[in-house]
Amino acid sequence: MHVVERMTTHPGRPLRQGRFQSPLRDERVAAWLGAGLGVMFTTCFVTGVFSHLHQHPVPWFPVPARPVGLYRVTQGIHVATGIASMPVLIAKLWVVWPRFLSYPPFRRVADIVERIGLLALVGGGVFMVFTGIANIAEWYPWRFSFTASHYWMAWVTMGAIVAHLGAKWAITRRALARDRPPMDAADPVLETAAESPHDGLTRRGFLLTVAAGSGVLTLVTIGQTLPGLRRLALLAPRDPSVGSQGHPVNRSAANAGVVRAASSPAYRLTVGGRVTRPLSLTLDDVRALPAHSAVLPISCVEGWSYSARWTGVRLRDLLALAGAPTGAAVHVQSLERRSIYAVSFVDHFQAADADTLLATHLDGQVLDLDHGFPLRLIGPDRPGVNQTKWVTKVTVL
Amino acid sequence: MKTTPTFERRGAGFWVSAVAGWALIGWGVLGALHHHIDTRPTQLARFVIDGVVLHDLVFAPLVLLGAFMVARIVRGRWRAPIQGALFVSGCAALFAWPEVRDYARVLHNPSSLPHNYTANLLVVVAAVWLGAGVIALVRR
Repeated sequence: MHVVERMTTHPGRPLRQGRFQSPLRDERVAAWLGAGLGVMFTTCFVTGVFSHLHQHPVPWFPVPARPVGLYRVTQGIHVATGIASMPVLIAKLWVVWPRFLSYPPFRRVADIVERIGLLALVGGGVFMVFTGIANIAEWYPWRFSFTASHYWMAWVTMGAIVAHLGAKWAITRRALARDRPPMDAADPVLETAAESPHDGLTRRGFLLTVAAGSGVLTLVTIGQTLPGLRRLALLAPRDPSVGSQGHPVNRSAANAGVVRAASSPAYRLTVGGRVTRPLSLTLDDVRALPAHSAVLPISCVEGWSYSARWTGVRLRDLLALAGAPTGAAVHVQSLERRSIYAVSFVDHFQAADADTLLATHLDGQVLDLDHGFPLRLIGPDRPGVNQTKWVTKVTVL
Repeated sequence: MKTTPTFERRGAGFWVSAVAGWALIGWGVLGALHHHIDTRPTQLARFVIDGVVLHDLVFAPLVLLGAFMVARIVRGRWRAPIQGALFVSGCAALFAWPEVRDYARVLHNPSSLPHNYTANLLVVVAAVWLGAGVIALVRR
């Protein structure tokens, strides 16, 4: 501890706190960045929990089928906000980093509580942004499940934000108040100095630079979900117009190990469970049923999306044919075996919706294997991972 | 910014938010432990702590050193635009790193990472520096 004390307080040492004299390390700059980050992380948290409820249904929150593109919007916002938060997080941590060297680090119980909370805040913030960005680029330098870990760490990070808010509420309110002096002037209330003339970025310029960083990252990626900005999406991990049949997929048939089973003449679609007339249908049987078309989005959890015209048999018609009770929910199972997304839940709203289909065609063409041939589930307001491909079994619950 | 710790009195708001925040943190930790087969808590904890250590002891000092060098080397009206351009293009490069390295190729999905990200990153960085140059000239 003596060494730390000397390194951080002795006038001749490089890590002396007084050495970090950049005028950008200002309470108001920190407050603006913190407030921005708080709004961004909260947006990601709310949209992330919504996505989690889609993928892990709970009885008290049946997901509605309308509006059709709701999940497309919420997940697009989730990923875009997460990407845009990266420059803000980096800037915020840069501004407050010298506090890491403050000595002594705490004197009272409140300081210990705040310091441990900061560990959760920095660790959680870095973890959420890093794993989120790595996931959309399909890079997994870890051995835990991304979805489960990202979800539970979101609660840790959000908790750390709430705790930090209480510690910084008064100073942030004062720093962001409308009657504060200009950012380059001294602020006697906050005990911050005026910005002396210098060649580098001013406080205001620094905040604008951070906003520019977020703006540039948004501009070069948001086209993966906003068709109008597709040509600018130079760094987007997906292009909604690139892939088999002109659209991307998250998992190919080869990767899912279903090529042989999906192409086999022995393929059958079975409808069972709580029905009076269990069905076992060939693909020709399914194609002979009344067809319906709907324009619906594929909205990937990774933030990319596209709309297409899907044609196939209505799920509710199939359930009626099998004698399923009105208002039933179902499980839809894929030929794919080793995947947490091999079975998806369709609640009673979605199962009864006129646009929930077992699709055989995409934009007028027979489905490609990568898009789920022979049958894929497609319904309104569902995450892409729940639009089960290579469907072979429907179980009425 | 004050870098020495301040010891102003903590009010009720601090403790209320601390209790609420730690309740949420506790919920997250319990959830991670309960779903241990998926979250692998020991690895997860190590990964989080490694992230903090890497940031605080490697990434942040390197950025500070780089910023210090720029402040020493670049003088006059070019310094602010160069600092800004370095920040924005650095963020773009960090974001694009897994795309440039093409880590997703192991998944053999032809629609993953469909662009030439090295070339595209260079275009983005060039546009950022061009913008910074224009700003520097306009501010003369």
